[in-house]
Amino acid sequence: MSVSTLASFEYLERLPGTTFKRLYQQPSTALAIFRRMLPHLAKTFVMALLYMSKPFPLTDLDLWVNSDSKRERDKALQLLSRLHIITVTAPSRTDPQTITLTKNFGESLRQALTGGGEHNSFGVPSNDPVSGGVDLAFLDEYARDQWEGILHYVVNSVGEAMRGGGQGPTDAVKHLLEAGRLVTTGRHSGKGITQAGFSFLLQEVNAQVWTLLLLWIENAEKMELDSVEVLSFLFMLGSLELGRAYSKYTLTDSQRQMLPYLLDFGLVYIPRSSSGYFFPTRLATTLTSDASALRSVAAGFDAASSAAGGAKGFIIIETNYRLYAYTNSPLQIAVLSLFTRFKARFPNMVSGRVTRKSVGNAISHGITSDQIITYLSTHAHPQLAKRAAIQGGPVLPPTVVDQIRLWQIENERMKATPGFLFRDFDNEKDYESCRKYAEEVGVLLWHNDKKGWFFVTRVEQLRDYIKSKKIK
Amino acid sequence: MPRAIRGVLVQCDPSIKSIIVKIDAEEHAFIVEELDDQTLVIKENMMTTLKMKLDEQLKETQNNDESSSDE
Repeated sequence: MSVSTLASFEYLERLPGTTFKRLYQQPSTALAIFRRMLPHLAKTFVMALLYMSKPFPLTDLDLWVNSDSKRERDKALQLLSRLHIITVTAPSRTDPQTITLTKNFGESLRQALTGGGEHNSFGVPSNDPVSGGVDLAFLDEYARDQWEGILHYVVNSVGEAMRGGGQGPTDAVKHLLEAGRLVTTGRHSGKGITQAGFSFLLQEVNAQVWTLLLLWIENAEKMELDSVEVLSFLFMLGSLELGRAYSKYTLTDSQRQMLPYLLDFGLVYIPRSSSGYFFPTRLATTLTSDASALRSVAAGFDAASSAAGGAKGFIIIETNYRLYAYTNSPLQIAVLSLFTRFKARFPNMVSGRVTRKSVGNAISHGITSDQIITYLSTHAHPQLAKRAAIQGGPVLPPTVVDQIRLWQIENERMKATPGFLFRDFDNEKDYESCRKYAEEVGVLLWHNDKKGWFFVTRVEQLRDYIKSKKIK
Repeated sequence: MPRAIRGVLVQCDPSIKSIIVKIDAEEHAFIVEELDDQTLVIKENMMTTLKMKLDEQLKETQNNDESSSDE
């Protein structure tokens, strides 16, 4: 399962049951969750239960599943009940346990599959005359420009004055990136990409979109937008047809409020001349589809940086730390320049060196050596991979990999761990029992028996312990 | 009654520790408690400042071979 699904899962699972109830009133939401979030076994269960009018005994369900696949069954059922799709009755002596689809989900999914109803949940195509020139290629181009602008901003926040494509993201997006700690504008370190930001860059586009959208939803709650409406709008976008104009008038007020933000992300396109309709872009229509989830990290990254993007690997790194990157994408060059010192730039390649200073610089921005190494090996040139396959060695020169790790250790001259220092115990017995307890719960970091002091990383359990023991 | 003091436990070489002590000697703004040769507790909000000052000190004391190896 892709990263994006996991991220959106975690968010969804945190929502209360009442939110789910309202979410599932929209057939598009029920369908989106059904097709994107559920593993196949869970889907089978849902489909079987869909047209069952009476509660279904759990023991009968067991007959459908091979006895050696019990774990998968439990996992699927657990997930379904966490997402409030099924309700399982509590075990009791008189009645057997039964299982039913929750009312709203069942109704909505039936409606989504068979049609009917006046719910407008899948968007309403606009009848207004559409101005020409908006075709698939145009929308793809537009979405890519917007998204690249955001990625550029994340990369360029390091301070390298590299010219980005487009005008860069709007202020609202910049604030969002800061709020999500993908970039920092700290006083001491200055503007910069964070470790989270770097991981963000390495995700596939679909996962990136979800990461940013979830960030935005969290912030939207502060802006007093209803998270249910926001989510159902996103799920609706996922079911729209690319290249088609949809009417704005059927949207609710808060959904209309969202449009400018989605415009910033490049999820929708609104021609300036009109205000009556909008176009979803590929970023939006693939939100809940499985197709894009199959793309690998590298392919996703390439897709983000260039539409054609045929070549997968483009980096050659030699044992003498020289690096050649066969790319002309400003984005990829900008990512590389986070940890490389570039010397020369040609029309189809750049060359430079990985140095102690350049790696140190990246590490001071919170990028880890492992992230750098992963990036290099993911994007290694086919030639490197070929040679590695022939010789049976690793893709990257081991000397370089080791050295990058050493450079990181070098910069970590001290190990810092936040926590609490405990001191001034009245007697040795109290100290000893507290220290032992801290060690048992795994929070003890340092102790000095002579002084009667110790340092713990977390205090909650220990505080309760001290209270319960009435240590004065 | 035991006391609990919030802070950051810093574990490092004795040499690094002595530099931290030297930095702290100017304003006494960083160290909460010196525990032993390799361990001390630092005020949580001063950690980034301390790291910066430490880097500055280290740059002065270590000779930088970057220029020679960077050709």
